[in-house]
Amino acid sequence: MVRWLAAAVLGLAVITSARAQSYGVPSELLKNTRRIEGDTLHVCSDATGKIRAFDHAVANAIAEMLFLRAEFHEGFGGYPTSGDGFLDELQIAMTNTCDIMMGMTVQENSPFPEWAALSRPYVSLPYVLAVKDEAYMSLADIPVTRKLGTALSSMGERVFITWNQQQPEGKRYTRLPYADMDLMTKRVTDGSIAGMIVWQPVLAALRKSNPEAAALRIIPMAPVPETMTRVGVLMKARDTFLRSQIDQAIDALVADGSIAAIMAQFSYEGVPGDARNAQ
Amino acid sequence: MNFDIRKNFLVASIALIAFAPAASAQSVLDDYTPVTAELLANPPKSDWLFWRGSYTNQGFSHLDQINKETVKNLELVWAWPMADVGIQETVPLVHDGVMFLQTSNAIVEALDAKTGDLLWTYRHVLPELPASWSYQANQARRQKASIALAGDKVVLTTPDAKLVVLEAKTGKVAWEKQVLDWQKGYSYTVGPLIADNKIISAISGCSIAGTAGACYIMAHDLETGEEIWRFNTIDDPDNPKQGESWGEVPPENRWGGTPWATGSYDPELGLTFWGVGMPGPYAELIRGSGKGSVLYTNSTIALDVKTGKLKWYYQHLPRDNWDLDSPFERVLVDQEVDGKVHKLLISVPGKNGIAFALDRETGKYLWSKETVKQNVVSKIDPDGTVHINEDLVPTAVGQPVFACTSVSGGKLWQAGAYSPLTKTFYVPLTEACNEVTPTQSEFTAGNAVGSVKFGPRVLPEGIKEAGLFEALSINPTQGDHKWQHRQRPTPTSSMLATAGGLVFGGDAGRYIKAFDQETGEVLWQQRLNAPIGGSPVTYEVDGEQYLVVPTGFSNSASSISSAFPEVPLPNGNGNSIFVFKLNQDAE
Repeated sequence: MVRWLAAAVLGLAVITSARAQSYGVPSELLKNTRRIEGDTLHVCSDATGKIRAFDHAVANAIAEMLFLRAEFHEGFGGYPTSGDGFLDELQIAMTNTCDIMMGMTVQENSPFPEWAALSRPYVSLPYVLAVKDEAYMSLADIPVTRKLGTALSSMGERVFITWNQQQPEGKRYTRLPYADMDLMTKRVTDGSIAGMIVWQPVLAALRKSNPEAAALRIIPMAPVPETMTRVGVLMKARDTFLRSQIDQAIDALVADGSIAAIMAQFSYEGVPGDARNAQ
Repeated sequence: MNFDIRKNFLVASIALIAFAPAASAQSVLDDYTPVTAELLANPPKSDWLFWRGSYTNQGFSHLDQINKETVKNLELVWAWPMADVGIQETVPLVHDGVMFLQTSNAIVEALDAKTGDLLWTYRHVLPELPASWSYQANQARRQKASIALAGDKVVLTTPDAKLVVLEAKTGKVAWEKQVLDWQKGYSYTVGPLIADNKIISAISGCSIAGTAGACYIMAHDLETGEEIWRFNTIDDPDNPKQGESWGEVPPENRWGGTPWATGSYDPELGLTFWGVGMPGPYAELIRGSGKGSVLYTNSTIALDVKTGKLKWYYQHLPRDNWDLDSPFERVLVDQEVDGKVHKLLISVPGKNGIAFALDRETGKYLWSKETVKQNVVSKIDPDGTVHINEDLVPTAVGQPVFACTSVSGGKLWQAGAYSPLTKTFYVPLTEACNEVTPTQSEFTAGNAVGSVKFGPRVLPEGIKEAGLFEALSINPTQGDHKWQHRQRPTPTSSMLATAGGLVFGGDAGRYIKAFDQETGEVLWQQRLNAPIGGSPVTYEVDGEQYLVVPTGFSNSASSISSAFPEVPLPNGNGNSIFVFKLNQDAE
């Protein structure tokens, strides 16, 4: 009886952590060793992350505050929209290479498994509505007969879909998901869609690299609720001391204006640290 | 002193030189003959030339030395560890006593099928994938299906979207071709089909952001690699209904439609048949396609082998919202009834486990039959129109629905086998359900992954055993349960039916089992080192029949392992093959 109970508990533990995004990592892919460099902070980030350069600047500031040397690794990245394979590769990277993974979303109902822990957010960055047509001063000016674009599977898209679904059927926008932000910009410019809902750091980067994006304006999205993505650091749950040190460093960098200064370098709008009052 | 060293080297060198020709002289490769078009059309019963044994995808062998009476005398003759770790879905191919074994990361080994001696190894040099392509690295560790044999060549599809053609006698590269841009996300995970002097292949990676609007089945010239045609499974300008089925979503905003299993081929009709997977994003709420059926996702498509033009299609699951894709094996069956030959296409094409029969000349729906517990299809009309359970279509982000089967199946890549002896289709299945919730559970801030969340796999209410080996009797007018073998551990391998009246299949509990085709009685079983994976295959060398059983790391074993906690799963090091034959001295 005791054996069956133990087995059932074990089974429950297994299924609780099971998700579609993971097929399970064969144990031989995971290093079973300890790193012994006490003065180095191994920093990883998603190679396709939208704010990677910003994250590196923040990581350098965190390391400096902890009297550590930040060593950057390529990390990983590049997943289908289903997230297939993400958690497997994250587990491999965090076990074999990384002390911390920068640029991870801090949110309720976090999708990360129990072996991972998140820091408090070091920055909160908003989603914005960008348009070209000068007649549009807010979302309310855009007729529902026009289409809108959203960044595929983004938090901004989620909030917009939820709001849109709450409208009477005849007053809902047709929305198209885009994975290619340059393509979405082009479609706003050529009039195929009236506007696009993107993460502000993405728009900031587009404005530097894509001349068509420079012509876009940000207009208020109300009554769609404001969407902020809070960004933090992922660590292994067992690294409890490191976690408390990182949290304290983030607090200090927010308080002394360092994060705000880095945000200004990158033309990011948003809130240093945790936008507690944001959505 | 120097002299002694030189002498020793000389002796060693002579020994090596002497050994090499001796080994070469005895090699079974010396007698290897080309796999001609005639052989492909009519495979000798001693060989296993295809993923599923023949163009029909039946998974049937005409060998009968191992049969209901003799199977109890099976004994291990040799075993071999595979060249790499990773999820194990391989299918050994055998011709002229040479076994070709593909493993993860596009490694191929040639082995003497009688003795288990290694003849050569090919290791594909994959690009050092940049960190931004972790998905490809992940896919490379779960190579699916098989390689193909043609002439004196071995044809391989690779994780970096290449066709690689090897010399069968040496493993040297004859030629290779970059088919699609892996840097966009394209990757091969299923093996090719050789038909009409063409290499027909299907690409994966179609859910990756960079591959928007295009997922292909392609034909390349077998000799030159020149592309002859390609068919896009999510954008067909020749069929307005296809475009309309995506609502207002233009091709550049569509994803999915991956053909996840190697197709079948009817030389007489000149048609090749492929299954197509789910749409992306999974939930219509997010993909923006409204109530559209999103063709050709979850469909069978019949393509003209010479032109790649669509002859017909049939959609098994419209409006998929649950990642219950329908890409699995399409099996060709001819049955004569009252003097008329019926050309059927049978399949359990999708994760929801519903069996279908179509007329493969026209695509006309003939019948369907439910197997495992499912709740996503509410009704199928006599004309074949499939109605989904609209209560299970999420209407809000964050709204969970409880769908059966689960995202892990029901049915998965493990292929069923059809026996012409019993006119029965034997299918490995799993009873499972899960919650499906459209959500943006962001991992990396601002990045587009994780649009649907799946809950833990659980058993359907009232069902206590996750595993089901299902035997469906087949005829042109109906399919029916012949027998069902239920057990706690899930099936994890494809099935193999033989003229010996047996059907082989393996499970997460590490057992390879031989069932009586007529009754489902287990006549023989052997526990091995890891969950049974890939496809058991049989062949004959020097008048003796062999059975080869792949084992290894299995996502099908772990997806609902909570349903059989008494069966511990081993680590991932076990990828191996085990080869059995009859003990001639027995009795």
